[in-house]
Amino acid sequence: MSEPLISANMSADADLFGPDPASDPLAYYALQGGGADVFAASDPAIGKAWRRFAAGLAAQSHGDLAALQPMLDSQVDDLGLAFRLTGDEQERPWPLNPMPIFIGAAEWQTLTDGLVQRANLLERVIADIYGNQTLIRGGHLPAAVVSGSGNFARRMVGQMPTGGNFLQVYAVDLVRGPSGEWRVLSDRVRLPVGIGYALQNRLALAQVTGGLLASVGVRQQTGFFDALRQGIASHCRRSDPQIALLTPGRFNQSYPEQAHLARKLGFALVEGRDLTVREGRLFVRTIAGLKRIHAVWRWINTSDIDPMSFDARSQIGVPNLIAAASEGLVLANWPGGAVVESRAMPAFLPRLARVLLNEELALPNAATWWCGGEQERAHVLANLDQLVISSAFRRAVVGLADGRTRAGASLSALERSELVAAIARRPIDYTAQEIVNLSTTPTLAQGQFEARGFTVRAFLARDENGQWTALQGGFARVSQQGDLRTSLMGMGDISADLCIVDPTAPEPQEAIPTPEFVSIRREQGLLSSQSADNLFWLGRYGERAHQVARIVRALLSEFSTAEQSPAAQTTTQKLSQLLRQLGAAPKPSANWSFARIAETALASAEQIGSVRSLLKRELQTAQLLRDRLTRDSWRSLQRTMPSYLPGDIESIRAACDRLIERRATLAWLFADGMSRGPAWRFLDLGLKLERGSIILQAVQQIVPGSASAADLSALLDLVDGEASYRGRYLTMPFIAPVFDMVLLDPAHPRGLAYQLVEIEQHLAAIPPLVDDGMPEQPLRLARQLRAKVETIDANKLGPGTLGELRTLLHDLSEAISARYFLQGAEARGREPTRLLA
Amino acid sequence: MRYSVRHVTELVYAAPVQQAHFNVRLLPWEWDGHRLLETRLGVLPSPDDRADYLGPYCVRTTQLAFAEPLERLKIVSEFAVEVEASQPSSLGPALDKVRAESLAQRDLSEFSPAPYLFPSRLADDDPAIATWAQPFLLDQADIVTAAQALTSAIHSEFSYTPGATTSTTPPAQAFVLRAGVCQDFAHVMIIALRSQEIPAAYVSGYLRTEPPPGKSRLVGADAMHAWVNVWCGQELGWVGFDPTNNCRVEDDHIFIGMGRDYADVAPIDGTFIGSAPQTMTTSVDVLPQTDRARIST
Repeated sequence: MSEPLISANMSADADLFGPDPASDPLAYYALQGGGADVFAASDPAIGKAWRRFAAGLAAQSHGDLAALQPMLDSQVDDLGLAFRLTGDEQERPWPLNPMPIFIGAAEWQTLTDGLVQRANLLERVIADIYGNQTLIRGGHLPAAVVSGSGNFARRMVGQMPTGGNFLQVYAVDLVRGPSGEWRVLSDRVRLPVGIGYALQNRLALAQVTGGLLASVGVRQQTGFFDALRQGIASHCRRSDPQIALLTPGRFNQSYPEQAHLARKLGFALVEGRDLTVREGRLFVRTIAGLKRIHAVWRWINTSDIDPMSFDARSQIGVPNLIAAASEGLVLANWPGGAVVESRAMPAFLPRLARVLLNEELALPNAATWWCGGEQERAHVLANLDQLVISSAFRRAVVGLADGRTRAGASLSALERSELVAAIARRPIDYTAQEIVNLSTTPTLAQGQFEARGFTVRAFLARDENGQWTALQGGFARVSQQGDLRTSLMGMGDISADLCIVDPTAPEPQEAIPTPEFVSIRREQGLLSSQSADNLFWLGRYGERAHQVARIVRALLSEFSTAEQSPAAQTTTQKLSQLLRQLGAAPKPSANWSFARIAETALASAEQIGSVRSLLKRELQTAQLLRDRLTRDSWRSLQRTMPSYLPGDIESIRAACDRLIERRATLAWLFADGMSRGPAWRFLDLGLKLERGSIILQAVQQIVPGSASAADLSALLDLVDGEASYRGRYLTMPFIAPVFDMVLLDPAHPRGLAYQLVEIEQHLAAIPPLVDDGMPEQPLRLARQLRAKVETIDANKLGPGTLGELRTLLHDLSEAISARYFLQGAEARGREPTRLLA
Repeated sequence: MRYSVRHVTELVYAAPVQQAHFNVRLLPWEWDGHRLLETRLGVLPSPDDRADYLGPYCVRTTQLAFAEPLERLKIVSEFAVEVEASQPSSLGPALDKVRAESLAQRDLSEFSPAPYLFPSRLADDDPAIATWAQPFLLDQADIVTAAQALTSAIHSEFSYTPGATTSTTPPAQAFVLRAGVCQDFAHVMIIALRSQEIPAAYVSGYLRTEPPPGKSRLVGADAMHAWVNVWCGQELGWVGFDPTNNCRVEDDHIFIGMGRDYADVAPIDGTFIGSAPQTMTTSVDVLPQTDRARIST
């Protein structure tokens, strides 16, 4: 039964005392279980790559292989590689093993030849189901195997895909059996989940291991993504098409992956509500009006994609998207293809390959029987203990709760009789498969190499000529234990990078891509209204958190002197009131100690205006903008609140200091790292508007009536103006000069006037909706506001003017929302009706 | 029998709704034994875009799109149809033969049994209904007899109670209540039949409003009605059963559409931006027309 445990050449380097663990860490790799091992069974040339890589890992970690995992974890973290399990509120860190799986180029070629044949077969099967249905009429495929699939989209029958291909991207789960033969576990034509993780795994691994991957001859992955992009683009009628990746939104399990792919491919990341169909054409709502979209890579299920064609309840789809597709919109993959994903379909593929291609299936599934056939059913019932039983169409069915696959041998007597009765009652709901054993791979666990079973997800995409290209590598799942067949990642599973090694290739060089023609462009594609909205609020939340931290710090500074000075006491009261007004402290906190108010404003999870809550909102907003943020700013945004000792004033003040420093870092990362396009402008608009608003509120709260020198000092402190004030006036603070510095002087970067100048510049630079030379409403208001501030006399500034300024600023914010962002009800989503007449 | 049907639906929104799109499924599919004499679908205000197509099931869909905000919508569907009374020529084969024949059909069309074999969104599998129905659906029973027994069982065990359920109540819940309206009864019967792998479909339509002399008025005649088509083997094909009225479908029933469940044939659905309609009124008139030819003989 069992394969040789260690191949002969493995101990070639061993001397009398055994091999040096650092030069050949895999020499001590002990295989467990009976299955064959992908390393142990590899050709000598490939085995060399395994050992060189393992030795490289050992050298890099100075012999402590366990030290690699934390390095890789932090790299993975930096890349934003996260995932959710169903029901998770937070994303989980992505577990990646430092040891990849190496497959030789020759073995990979055979495998991909089989995959290409399979992709072509599935294309033909789908085209037949949605076309002439000759397979059904000829008796080669039972009609129930099609209609049973929840992914069969009857609406699409007779509608041929734009560009001619039903499949543009194809993912497939594979296992390697004990004697090295590859088998297909399942076909995935609906969503190629994992494609982005494969890419990121490689990136993380390459960054941690330096040139190690290249030095053992690992093939690069990049060509695949170019092919994918050009493949989709090739169906568009224009040469430089606008392509969008349609996401279900940030609560989707693979949203981080989608955001990453959109950025990598240069696709606009859009949600259904960003899009609209007008006269059979698809548009995205942008800050510059509606912009045409020529192709969509959809990451939304067919049933949700268009409420007018499928489920009317869908909130995430685009009404009439299918109508647009019939008018020439490119949709990849074409809706309905997932009908071939059912577990019943593999039972028919060998026959369909003969019928359609006149070929034998090069890469078979594990043998599959659909119980809808009488003979097949008899075979399954007679051999139940040697088979795994699945729900044919992945629904929950009697005997298989949640649609989960069960091994016949694992059933109790009661479960077994229940299942047998259910199969007799509705045989069409069940399939059986032979049990496939997995071969193992060396996996690093606690610094040791251990043998673990694995499955691989491979990816194919059509290039610009419609030919299939395989990603050179893939996404491997390594079992901790348990069933590897269920989902992409389960609790406890780890991922590994699949590397294709070409020992015959010359020393690999960093390839410089040489496309035939790249049109140089400086604009950054389109900015959807939704993204502009998010950027604006990212700026506002971040700045408000910053300002609240400053007020808390000012409160604590005043508090330490308040015992000596009654004036300082009124100052602390005014600052507390400001915090209440901003929602950072509760309304009934008048009797609270200032320390308690400060701590609440900093860290309370209940107060929506506390620094903690604002940072949380900021991070949630940032998650929607992953495709636009640099890695450094993303990492910075993810940092948790600084810790402090509860009740300890000095410690709370130190936490505020650290927060304010971090805001400075982040502001610099945005200012220094973002290209000066509309995206940056909206982010900065939000920041400047928020800052201006808080300055005004602070002035209104602190100054009216009487303002002591302590009050005015606190105000100066909020805008970082104490040093310049002293430099200018060499005197204690008086109201008029303080007003001038805080509100009117356009040279002071934290004062109101400066924010207004910047706001006006941003609005003037954002593309107009209509190019008629007339300023739009937001710009008009910004100019009005700036002009008003320019003409104010600091000596005559009273509460009335302050109120007027605040109203104007509020109107400006509203005008920006009304002009650039999705409107009120629209942004809340559609409300579909179901009316019983 | 010849009928003229007039169905008026009026929707009023509290606030104008934007970007309204509707699927209207009020015009009859030309079912075997039904001869459409004239049809008309009037819409007020006039839609900016209107498209008619057949499918995806046995249903005729009219898509309406409104560019301007919509405050009220009136849809008037009028048609005349001649309905031939159909009687199954036999009691059909036994259930296990029906099963085998349905799987052997090399046909995936909207008229074939295959689409109606599986649970669907609103007629989802329910173990309680399956267990309850099992005694009516024995392998050796004739399909027409068995389906009639199930029809009678629903009629006698369930109470027709408008208001006990809404259009979104799951059939499993109506089953627990043993109460509901035509839609619930049809869904329960469909789930029962499919649990035994018998193809069953949801039919929407109308009943004649005024009963023939000497017969009592049928339940559900003031609005749209729903019943069940059961696939009774290759020879008989689809046979209609009405669990609400405990009868077979003959010439009192006027066919509009057939789908897997209510969702496939819903008279109106769609999307718009805004709040659901404040009021909706419908009126249905089904008038039998005197057939001169028949009178003269």
